[in-house]
Amino acid sequence: MQVPNKLTPFFENLNFERDDNTMVINFGPQHPSAHGQLRLVLELDGEQVVKAYPDIGYLHRGIEKMAENMTYNEFLPTTDRLDYIASTSNNYAYALAVEKLLDIEAPRRAQAIRTMLLELNRIISHLFFIATHALDVGAMSVFLYAFREREFAMDLMEDYCGARLTHSAVRIGGVPLDLPANWLENLAAFCDKVDYEVEHTYEALLTENRIWKMRLEDVGVISAEDALSWGCSGPMLRGSGVKWDIRKEEPYELYSELDFDIPVSDRCDSYGRYRLYMEEMRQSTRILRQLIPMYKETEPQLMAHAPQYISAPKEEIMTQNYALMQHFVLVTQGMRPPRGEVYVPTESPKGELGFYIKSEGDPYAYRLKCRAPSFFHTGLLQKLLVGTYLADVVTIIGTTNIVFGEVDR
Amino acid sequence: MAQHQVNYASSAGLPIALTSVDKLVNWGRSNSLWPLTYGLACCAIEMMASGASRYDFDRMGTIFRASPRQADVMILAGTLSKKHSEFARRLYDQMTEPKWVISMGSCANTGGMFNTYATVQGVDRIIPVDIYLPGCAPRPETLQYAMMMLQKKIRRESADMKKNTKQDLTTQAGKRARLI
Amino acid sequence: MRKYVPKDNVQKKAYYTDRFHVVPRVPREKVIDTHFEATVFNLGEYVKDSYVEIGQLVVHIDANDNFAVLKILKEQCGYTQCSEQSAVDYLAKDGEFELFWQMLNVNEAKRVRVVCRLKEGLAIESVEPLFKSANFAEREMFDMFGIKVNNHPFLKRILMPDDWEGHPLLKTYPLFGDEFASWYEVDKIFGKEYRDIIGPENRDPGKIDIEDTKRFSRVGYEVPFGTEYNADEEVEVAYSETALVNYNKKTSKQLDERR
Repeated sequence: MQVPNKLTPFFENLNFERDDNTMVINFGPQHPSAHGQLRLVLELDGEQVVKAYPDIGYLHRGIEKMAENMTYNEFLPTTDRLDYIASTSNNYAYALAVEKLLDIEAPRRAQAIRTMLLELNRIISHLFFIATHALDVGAMSVFLYAFREREFAMDLMEDYCGARLTHSAVRIGGVPLDLPANWLENLAAFCDKVDYEVEHTYEALLTENRIWKMRLEDVGVISAEDALSWGCSGPMLRGSGVKWDIRKEEPYELYSELDFDIPVSDRCDSYGRYRLYMEEMRQSTRILRQLIPMYKETEPQLMAHAPQYISAPKEEIMTQNYALMQHFVLVTQGMRPPRGEVYVPTESPKGELGFYIKSEGDPYAYRLKCRAPSFFHTGLLQKLLVGTYLADVVTIIGTTNIVFGEVDR
Repeated sequence: MAQHQVNYASSAGLPIALTSVDKLVNWGRSNSLWPLTYGLACCAIEMMASGASRYDFDRMGTIFRASPRQADVMILAGTLSKKHSEFARRLYDQMTEPKWVISMGSCANTGGMFNTYATVQGVDRIIPVDIYLPGCAPRPETLQYAMMMLQKKIRRESADMKKNTKQDLTTQAGKRARLI
Repeated sequence: MRKYVPKDNVQKKAYYTDRFHVVPRVPREKVIDTHFEATVFNLGEYVKDSYVEIGQLVVHIDANDNFAVLKILKEQCGYTQCSEQSAVDYLAKDGEFELFWQMLNVNEAKRVRVVCRLKEGLAIESVEPLFKSANFAEREMFDMFGIKVNNHPFLKRILMPDDWEGHPLLKTYPLFGDEFASWYEVDKIFGKEYRDIIGPENRDPGKIDIEDTKRFSRVGYEVPFGTEYNADEEVEVAYSETALVNYNKKTSKQLDERR
């Protein structure tokens, strides 16, 4: 082995050719279809994968450590960078966990806006999934079409919060802003657009496409028992026939009042999961359409009233002395939640995104653990890839829909 | 290169364009910048978006390449962690001259909001950077602007890459071993 | 005198806490839910303490019983998924770690958190044979806290590089990293002798080095790359296309003449 600390190229101690006729190949961490910084070490017997070893941590940024050194409100923008494809779902999961700890509830208008943003983010994430998955499998045009629609969704997010990718659109205790003018009309138009495109572009291009079916059918098969054991959640679990959606089973926000279906596929393969993603986009637009009249019936209050933890609205801070004092303390010292621990799961586009927060009554969390769905889906790769062919590896990485911001944190 | 376009009507109709070799070479280099798809984190999504439908990088002659050996520009998009840093340097070394680096986003510029144990505090600690691109995450327009700035920069450079001052990691480039 | 900083917990602390501030506790309710009651009954003697906190059953157990408890939960109570497992560092206070397993029952939509305390230096039994998700989760716990796991198939660092020193999520580990971490990439790529050349990390996000003409130039006073800094010299604006306003110059708009 070479001395690795000079500018000479450094090769790890991998035996490329071995006596037992297997070959070890290294995949990533810079690989266009590795969805970020996944590194896979694959042992191949001919074309077949004998052993797969996912090596992660190339995007480890110490987010959990940062949480221990930041006040609760300070940390919220950092959660954007976990699952950066659907930022609001992380903001929301974190805000919900803190709210549960504080025992406060967001006002109804904030709940309606949050639910809309969550579903919009689900569509953004699923569009991104179909774009990259299709690109990896070889359908380049779907990538271009899906990104076209995704840009419209990004426009909506930009209209609301001003950011395209890192939204921070949710605050602890509510949302910072009301919806801008004409946003709901644009949203309704966008829903129609997505429904049309899902049916007439993506499904028309892919569902009955012979190549697509050959590449996806019976690839990445995982049984329901294994999926549960490996900690799968979200579409990975529903794709194996387990009807489990946290929006339905442990409802938060307005999901208990909404009428939507949970698509389940018992094919257990990549093709079934692809169909699931398509159906979930339809359900998301269905939810968004129901939310538009629900939003209109709500009162205009946006932040919960809890002066001990949450600053009063700006008008009150500027006019009332006590509100200003509270605001000053909350900004300089940060809120102090009660002592206790909480684990709150939410259904992010990728699966179960939960935040475990251990509070010791300080303005800084004693421990924050982010339960990221992609982390466990990456762990699943070491089982899923074994026995498949090398060409299917990319399909399987695509179908797990992993995002390395939340895998490595 | 507008000043080198020949008005055929006034130059007696001769299909001749006169220019210096430097400018011709730089014209070629600057108008077909092929970046390496080096998406690391959030900025990679914006980099993909700039390559996709609405922002359409291809019209600028910018075609993403997956291999460092075919690329001219390394767009370092996202947080570079310490675990990844040696690979970044290795990919940079694998690129053929002439090569340029765009550091995209706050994390790549300075470490950004990730002021932690695991993040490289600025990729210029290990790789010479030509363009720093601010933002978290920068919009696709910003990336396009950065590419245009880089084109501008390349046109001002000498075609002989040895004459160009690269941002050297050494303080006194002559005395120490040359890294680049 | 230098301010005293405790060595066993170097994380950020509140700069001011009222002397009379009493920290309330999240209410711990008694177990009344029938499903949770049945779960606690099934676990029997293993349970040291049990209560319901924010809708989830919390069961305190002994560190030696974790495998047996999770086995009962899986086989008798229907908790077929271990959705999360990790640790909390209480070394400074109690000299032990708090470990937790977050269990999910998909059929009943119930969640149980199994909690145990583990003394420093002791190892915990792996639950990987029961729940495969523990494979990565336990490796992460080992990486972040240094907690050894017995009978794990492949206990190795997962997030940090293999040659990393220290366990980042310990309270004794500073946020900016220790000496080893701050030079890691330089040592790895160039070698230790390049430390002087490259220099230490800049951890101050507000730092402006006005003499640095290599990284960020002063707006309006751009100089060619790498030239020597000269404060007196007027330099032509090379890149900026917008007219820059000099706010130090007196203009007719200045309201207070006495300044």
